[in-house]
Amino acid sequence: MSNTSFPIPMLHSTIRIMAPFLLAAIGGLFTELAGMLNIALEGLMLIGAFFSVVFAAATGSLFLGILLGIGASVAAAYVFGFISLNLRANIFITGLATNLFAEGLVMVLAFQIFGNKGVIRFQNLPKLPVLSVPAIQRIPVLGDVFVGHNVLVYVSWVMVVIAAIIIYKTAFGLRVRGTGSNPDAIEATGLSPRRYRMYAILISGFTCGLAGAILSLQMGAFVPGITAGRGWIALVAIYLGNKTPHGILIACIVFGFAESFSNYAQGAINVPADFILAFPYIITVVAMIAYSIVRHYRLKGSER
Amino acid sequence: MAYLQMQGITKLYPTSGVLANDGVDLAVDENEIHAVIGENGAGKSTLMKLLYGLEHPDGGEITFRGETVVIKDPFAANRLGIGMVHQHFKLVSDFTVAENVVLGSEPRKRGLFIDRQTAVKDVGVVIEEHGFSVDPKRRIKDLTVGQMQQVEIVKMLYRNAELLILDEPTSVLTEQEIERLFVTLRNLLERGKTIILITHKLEEVMQMSHRVTVMRGGKVVAVRNTSDVDKRELSRLMVGKDILLEVNREQKTFGDPILELRDITIRCRGQGRPLLDTINLQVRSGELVGIAGVGGNGLAEIEDVIGGLRHASSGQIFLHGEDVTALGPEDLREVGLAYVPADRLHRGASLPSSVRENCIVTKHHDFLKAGVLQRRNTREFTEELIDHFSIDAAEGMPVGNLSGGNIQKMILARELAADTDFILFSEPTWGLDIASSQFVYERMLELRARGAGVLLISSNLDEILGLADTILVMYRGRVVGRLENTEAVTKEIIGEYMLGLRDDSEPVGAAAPSEVHRG
Repeated sequence: MSNTSFPIPMLHSTIRIMAPFLLAAIGGLFTELAGMLNIALEGLMLIGAFFSVVFAAATGSLFLGILLGIGASVAAAYVFGFISLNLRANIFITGLATNLFAEGLVMVLAFQIFGNKGVIRFQNLPKLPVLSVPAIQRIPVLGDVFVGHNVLVYVSWVMVVIAAIIIYKTAFGLRVRGTGSNPDAIEATGLSPRRYRMYAILISGFTCGLAGAILSLQMGAFVPGITAGRGWIALVAIYLGNKTPHGILIACIVFGFAESFSNYAQGAINVPADFILAFPYIITVVAMIAYSIVRHYRLKGSER
Repeated sequence: MAYLQMQGITKLYPTSGVLANDGVDLAVDENEIHAVIGENGAGKSTLMKLLYGLEHPDGGEITFRGETVVIKDPFAANRLGIGMVHQHFKLVSDFTVAENVVLGSEPRKRGLFIDRQTAVKDVGVVIEEHGFSVDPKRRIKDLTVGQMQQVEIVKMLYRNAELLILDEPTSVLTEQEIERLFVTLRNLLERGKTIILITHKLEEVMQMSHRVTVMRGGKVVAVRNTSDVDKRELSRLMVGKDILLEVNREQKTFGDPILELRDITIRCRGQGRPLLDTINLQVRSGELVGIAGVGGNGLAEIEDVIGGLRHASSGQIFLHGEDVTALGPEDLREVGLAYVPADRLHRGASLPSSVRENCIVTKHHDFLKAGVLQRRNTREFTEELIDHFSIDAAEGMPVGNLSGGNIQKMILARELAADTDFILFSEPTWGLDIASSQFVYERMLELRARGAGVLLISSNLDEILGLADTILVMYRGRVVGRLENTEAVTKEIIGEYMLGLRDDSEPVGAAAPSEVHRG
């Protein structure tokens, strides 16, 4: 690998890699703003990944696959929300349960249907269409980095914009944020905080389903552990992004780059592979610590 | 038929078995201010929650403007023209005034999006029409408490409320803000509104209301025209016996200084003005020092610094002449600090823990034998406290199940059991009813009579004027007034200091704590 061409493909894959982070984090942003710590992002993503690829292969239609994958993830989110909100179980425990349930469900179904607990490849799977805009593609660097990704990558960027509009411009967004900041205020106006919390959870189910679909469809296979902690990193991105859509976008670029770097560096740098594979996670920890230090000084820091 | 008629209203809380309302009748005429008074737990808040649709009655009937109504939720109440201003504001602090007011009935454009311009304009109109003084575009967290209350009232007017329920509206306001609120209420009355005023402050009832309904133990015990009663009669009806806080202003001599703060300053990064600015104060043996001020002007910081929960940026604290500036809460208690915190539910007690655990927590070392708590000793100790302070609780009960008054009694019992000669009280009667407040005052006066130094931090001026020997007033982190409590000192004077209209503070370093200004 020559050193001069090295950064461009790395940036290109940064864009591709960050899409699932972005989607999961945007969904998680809604639950966060509604005042809930949603640790079920990982499990919801896994369900989306499994069902979308299975249904896409079964129906031969990408669209139907994605739709049903999202449907499965939203359904799981509903159960998660129902138990947490209506039955008032501790949301941390139910979130944990959702993650464990997702893992178990996927494994059992994979074995029942395909007789295989490992990697499941699909032969007749349609490929995700790739966007190419020759006009932009000719622009050096910019064209190389931003063009030539599958459509879902662009969908994820659009989702950020839509989320920002919903959160800041609509009555719905105002109510969701109000629910998180002071549920009593929402209740006093006659609205139901629980309802807005449920909506937020369903939205997180939707975006996590889509995030999972990207993972499995672009690989054309389902691999156990395909989400590899991305739901957790998305959770970190919400906090690093200071609970704003644009902040999350920046945080996800950092994480996308970290993973992309570790993919490329494996062959290029003479460092143990284990360390390089751990790089995205190390970045997460470092970023989180840096964030909390900055926050601490900004908020408290009384001079002595 | 009255404008609003509530008849035979009954409400039982099944989990606690409390019959909060027992066949209550309330009749309110159109365009009057009707006071509903009673001690904590008398059932007045429950009655209002039923009227506003936050709770549902088990029996009884509500008639409003001649029609029998069922009020399902606050939405339904608003549609009928009933609005409520809650004691604890229900506002989202990082939203703007306009956003808070329209929340739940937002003006829309294209069905989905909030029409912010219309919201700001409409809210501005309501504010202007009623002579309020808040900017619809400001954020709640930048407002004063009085302004937040205005927002709550605006919220109801925006929803076209004709009948306004105000739940303990003055409990968080300063003297001047209260005056302001009364002007607002009279103004609303002139515009044909009807007002129900929930309170346990008799002064307000006498000053503002046309008629008054008195509740005790979930029942209505009297309905009177305000002009036909006096405070003494009302308090007797409320409590069932005579009690009023008598002002005590005899001249006294004090002993040696017990607690002393020298030039205590707290600076906060990123903020221009210090939270506490060279505070000097002294509490002598047999002296009760009262610190007054509006929230956010340094009262909480003084509490924290003396309690050892926050360290000063500079300055020193002496307890019995010993420098205790660097000590934390545990060590401070060792050298003789007793402390009744303002936040009694979090700082003063652990709600899920038992009464026993809460009572021994400050001196649990005394009950250890070979590192194990001696159950029998702790129980006996706790039962003694319960008995002596007539706390309505069992020693094994979680503190969270106790009423506010009993929690405070328990904290008081624990702190007094330490038998120190200095004690800090912060907002000791906040939210307590007359009987419980009286109990707290009596204990405080006993301590002073015994020769202890007592420091009372309070935003309740009646309390400060009735109890303190020396009064300090805080404004923006500084002591702006230092008064001996004489006949000449009035609520109005203290109120002016509290709002920064008067300022006696001398240049930094010159203020000697012993030079007391004669009011």
